[in-house]
This record gives sequence, structure tokens and C-alpha cells, in this order.
Amino acid sequence: MLACFCNSIFLTQRCETTGMIRTSLSQLLCFLIVSMFSFQVFAKEYIAPTSTISENRDCIECHEKEDKLLINDWQNSVHAKVKPVVDCISCHGNSHKRAIVKSRHDQTCIPCHGGKEAPVAHSYSSSKHGTLMQLEKNSYDWNLPFVLANYRAPGCGYCHMYKSNHNVSTTVRHDLMNDLDTERVQNSMRAVCQDCHSPRYVTRLFANGEAMLEIARKKYREANNLIEQAATEFGAEKLAAANSQLIKMQQHLKNVYLGAGHQSPDYQWWHGQPALDGDLLRIKDNLGELRRLKK
Amino acid sequence: MSKKTPRYIWVPLIIALISIPAGFIYVNWNKGGEGAGLYSRQWSPETLFAYWNPKEFYQSVDTVVGEFSGEQCIECHSALTPGIVNDWKKSRHSRVSEKVFCNNCHGSNHEQLHMPTPDVCGSCHTAQHEQFVDEKRFGFPSHALAMERALDAKHFVDKPKAEVTACLQCHSVASKCDSCHTRHKFSAAEARRPEACLTCHSGPPHPDDETYFHSRHGQLYLAEGETWDWSKPLKKGNYPAPTCAYCHMDEGKHQVANKSIWKFGIKQINPLTSGNEIKRNKWIKLCSDCHEADWSRDRLKEMDKERKRAWKKLYLAENILKDLRADNYLYPLAKERPPYPTDSAKDIIQYERIGFFEGQASAFYNISAIERDYFEMWYFENLAAFKGSAHGDETFIIKGHEAMDKSLEKIKLKAIKLHALGEDEKIKGQRENPEKLWFNGEYTEYNREHN
Repeated sequence: MLACFCNSIFLTQRCETTGMIRTSLSQLLCFLIVSMFSFQVFAKEYIAPTSTISENRDCIECHEKEDKLLINDWQNSVHAKVKPVVDCISCHGNSHKRAIVKSRHDQTCIPCHGGKEAPVAHSYSSSKHGTLMQLEKNSYDWNLPFVLANYRAPGCGYCHMYKSNHNVSTTVRHDLMNDLDTERVQNSMRAVCQDCHSPRYVTRLFANGEAMLEIARKKYREANNLIEQAATEFGAEKLAAANSQLIKMQQHLKNVYLGAGHQSPDYQWWHGQPALDGDLLRIKDNLGELRRLKK
Repeated sequence: MSKKTPRYIWVPLIIALISIPAGFIYVNWNKGGEGAGLYSRQWSPETLFAYWNPKEFYQSVDTVVGEFSGEQCIECHSALTPGIVNDWKKSRHSRVSEKVFCNNCHGSNHEQLHMPTPDVCGSCHTAQHEQFVDEKRFGFPSHALAMERALDAKHFVDKPKAEVTACLQCHSVASKCDSCHTRHKFSAAEARRPEACLTCHSGPPHPDDETYFHSRHGQLYLAEGETWDWSKPLKKGNYPAPTCAYCHMDEGKHQVANKSIWKFGIKQINPLTSGNEIKRNKWIKLCSDCHEADWSRDRLKEMDKERKRAWKKLYLAENILKDLRADNYLYPLAKERPPYPTDSAKDIIQYERIGFFEGQASAFYNISAIERDYFEMWYFENLAAFKGSAHGDETFIIKGHEAMDKSLEKIKLKAIKLHALGEDEKIKGQRENPEKLWFNGEYTEYNREHN
């Protein structure tokens, strides 16, 4: 409206310079035309489209002007790098009216991340956060942004897209076998957790998660070393069973990571650590049997 | 002339006078150390244990000094940790005429804050606390004994503490009430719903979530549970289908073990003892809220039969393992496995733990593959069948028994192999030394030093 008003003054002045007759009617007409014109310009820039949006670049064209950081964040995230690209429409849908509220629900993320039975979603849904979400989601106000504990239980978005951070990749590890990502992930998560939990609790929880994951890695490396050593004695064919057990270990290691991240005791333990113990002893048993048969 | 006291009186007397106080001192010393429980001197806790077992391990922060009123707590924490203040505002604690503020449960002195244990909650919620504590007399598995039994378990003491924090997260149900009534809303309605239980009651040894949701009861809950009035107490006529709490904590009684006949399916029990008959009648009375008594009795009999079938299979496998042990054909033998911290008595007693009574629940690591196969058959497949049977999910009974049949075959084949290899080595007189594989390695060595 401000733009509209300024424009009308500007045009009124122009009327004066061109020597237009300064009647109140012509001035009103002038004002109306300019208002309509400027309103349209205004609309082109800031008013949301009412029709459905069909392409990602339509979104980016406008939103780049409005919030360049947000677009940058998305472009840096794994969502923009995978094929097919997870673009604006994938999560927000193509109706601009319900774009934000719709995308805040966990149901936006889960279908692509393996469905609700897959470890990623199941480790969350079996955690206390996940069970609370299941019970209370209908009572939450989904118009509120992901900040200040606006939601009693955090969903996928509250933690991984805190304060509308569209670079989800800052909140996850890319390499489970070393701790290169530790600092980055902890830095991006600390503020999220502290909306509800005390700083000391969060620090201890992080330290424990790291230690737990490192123990899982130790188990994996122990098994991996044994197989590497055995490779000089036996051919690939004989080591097939041990190797397939090692592949199972990768999933069990990931379960420990998911269990610690999503705070699911079940994934930390039954799908994680004791499962890794079983893998490790089976690999040892397998290699021992090969050696005994060789003699 | 005074008569001399005979030696057979004063010698034992002196021995008793020395040994009784010495015994007391030893027992007292034994309870010390950084840890807790039976083996408290053998381990030291992770810092995170403070939150899972506050009674033993919690120490307050000393960064904030002073005494605060409830309103003052709220004022600061609305900015610091808005989530918990929001929760409290939604709770009944904030809505009753005499509000229950932060300091009523945590204390007013910020340097001496404490985490509320069941005793703290029990100071107001007397009836519930009494029921909860009273549960101990029904033995384990139970909520009230969960923490002490976890701390006394062999594998808990043996393993690195960062690894077994996972155990305490669930076993903390004994040491704080917010496992079911999550903080700081502490809602009774929330704890009545099945989801409140499933964070702990899920996974291979106790798939309570899956078996319940697959059952007719669970299907009804999934279809229409949203519309039920969860503020009602767990009593006859209030709910169209039973939930976890409706059956296991009937009439809101804070006990889950008082009707426990089969003890989680972990060991074989005699279902016909007089004690179990009393428990069975309690179940029948409960089922009669909806079903006919005779029908309910028949269902429980079916469960007895299923259990008998399962234990027949389990004992077959157990005997195969015990035969191998008798012939020394397990590989590696107990004495050839790297000693864990609680294995210090190993030089006196050397044996492989097989079956419930020898403590195989703790033997899922550092054992031979055939023992692990039996562990999984017993602890995962058998317990899955049991849960299917108890919660009325036929698919889990079938799946569990099929898996057990498969495991039994696998164990039989593996036993033949071990037998042949062992016999062969006996004839040749030379045995492949398992030490190279089993004694060293990154985790094995780390575990030996860090428990």
C-alpha cells in the first residue's frame, strides 16, 4: 500500500508537469489507475500465487528474492544433490495456500526415507518423542514455526529443519565410521535439544551417544581386521559367509547410530549392540571353522 | 578356687566376636565403590546414569546459586527451556488450586536440586506409590525391581558402561515415574494408551507392540482409539477394547507383575501350582469384563499348550548343547574365551552357561556360534511366540514356532559338524588354538580394560 501511495503522488506530480487539468476527478482517476498498476506490480513480487505451481523454478524465482539464504541452504543440502532432486514441490506440494502446514508433518518425510517400518522412521516412532507425537499430533498447532518448543514432542522437521533451516544435511552424519561430522552435528542440534532439556543433560547425552557409536565401530573394525587377515589364507569363496555377516554388521552399526540419535533404547540395544556381538562371534566362529578344516 | 572356663567355650566365643564384626565390615565395604548393586566395586558409572538412576548417581549443578520460589523457576526457565514450562502449564500440577511448582519436587536450593524419584511423587500420590513398591513381592520381571536387577546382571557389569546405558534407559522405570507419565505433563490419560509402553516393550525379546497391534484388541484400538475418552479410569465398561494398561494394570493398579504366570516366557513354569491358579482366576475375572468365563479359561489353557510345545523344542536344543559340552566339543571352550571382569572365579569353575538356570540370559557375547543360535532361539523366537500367544496374535505364534524349528535344525547340523571336527582333532592329537581369533581384537581388548 505504501508503494501504491508513493506512486500516486509521483503520478500526481507528473500530471502537474505535463500540464494536465488539475480537477479532483482527473486526480482521482489518475490515482486509481496508478493504484491498480502499482498493486499489480506489488502482487507480482509479494502476493502468493493462487493457482497450482508446476515447477520448482517457479518457486525459486520468487523466493530467491525474498529469502536467498533459504534457497542457498536447500541447494547445499543432500536433497538438492540427489537424483531425482527433492525439490520444493516434493515436500510443500503445489498448492501455495497449504504449502507450509502440510510440509511440517512427519508424513512428508517418511515415505521417501524407507516408510514407517524402516529403521530410520521406526527408531523415531518407537522413541518417547515418537510415541508422544503419535498421541498428540492432532492437538498441535501446525501453523507455528519449528522453534521455542512450539510442539510438545519434536517431529522430523523440528530437529532436522529447526528454525526453517533447509539444509537438512547439517544435522546428520554422512560417514558413520569416523567422527569427522561430530562437531557439526552437535553444534546444529544442541540448541534444538535445549528448548526442552538442560544443557548438562544434552552434553552428557551427546557424549554417551558418541561413546556408544565408537564401541559399535570397535566391534566392526575387529571383525573387519579378522577377515582381512584371513584373506591371505583363504580365497574369496570361502570367506563369503564371513563377508555377508560383515554387511549385516553395517546395518546393525547404523541401528546404534539411529538409536542414539532418535533416542530409541530398542535400536541402541536389541537392534544394535547385542546384534553386533552376535555378528562378531559368528565371524570368529566361521574363520575358526575354516582353519580347523584346513588342518 | 575359681573354676577355669573350658577351652571349648572361650575359643569359639573369641572367634565369633572377631568374625561377626569383620563380616559386617566386609559386607559394608562390599557395598561401597563408585557403582551400585551387588558388584558396585567392580564398575564406575557413566555421567548419564545420573538421569536414569537419580537415587544412586544424581548430583546437582553448582553453576546457579540461591534459593528460588516456584514463580522464579518458571520465570527463568520460560526463556531457558520453554518446552518444560509449556508442559507444566498443560499439566494438572499447574491447574489445581494449590499449584505444584518446580521446587515442590526438585527442591528450592539450586545447588542441591534433585531428580524426583518415585518416593518424591509418592509423597502426594500415596496409593499409587504403595502399589508400585508392593510389586516387588511378585518378583522379576516387574517394574519395581527393574533397576536393581539390571545393575546386578553379569552382562551389565561386564560390558563398557557407555554401551549398557541403553539398558538403563528402559530399566529406569523403577527409579522414576516419567517413563510412563512423561515429564512435565505427567498425564494419566497418556499412560493409559498403548503407545506409552512401546518404547520399551518392543524389539526381538518382547514384541508387545507388534503382537498387540496385530490382535483383534489392538486392531480395534487402532481403528477407533482416537475417539475413546482416555480420562476415564481403567474399569469395566469404560473402554470398548482392552489396552496394555487395561489388562496389566487393571483398575489403575500400579502393578504389572501381580498376575504374571508365565514370567515373560523366559523359563518353563508349572502352570498348575496353587499360586498360579490364583493368578489364573484373576485373569479369568478380568477377561470376564467382556468374555464368558469358560471361554477365557479355554484361551488360557491353549496358552499352556503352546508353552509346552515351545519348551519341548527348547529342551531338545538345550540337550544337544549340553551333550557337546560334556564331550568338550564346543569351540572355543569356556576356558579358551577371553575372561570378562566378572569371570574372575573362572579358575575354580569353568563351564559354558546353557539354559535359564545357568544364567544364559547374560551369555549372548563371547560365546561360540552354536550357543548364540540357541540364545536367539530361546530369547527371540520363543519369546515372540509367547507374546503372540499371550496377546492373541496367531501370526506371531506361527512365525515364532517356524523360526524355532529352523533354529533346531541349524543347531543339529552344527552339532554334527562340531562333533566330527572335535573327534578328528582328538584322533590327531592336535587342536587348532582358538586364542588367536578370540583373545585379541579392538573391542575385545577395550572391553577387558573398560567396564
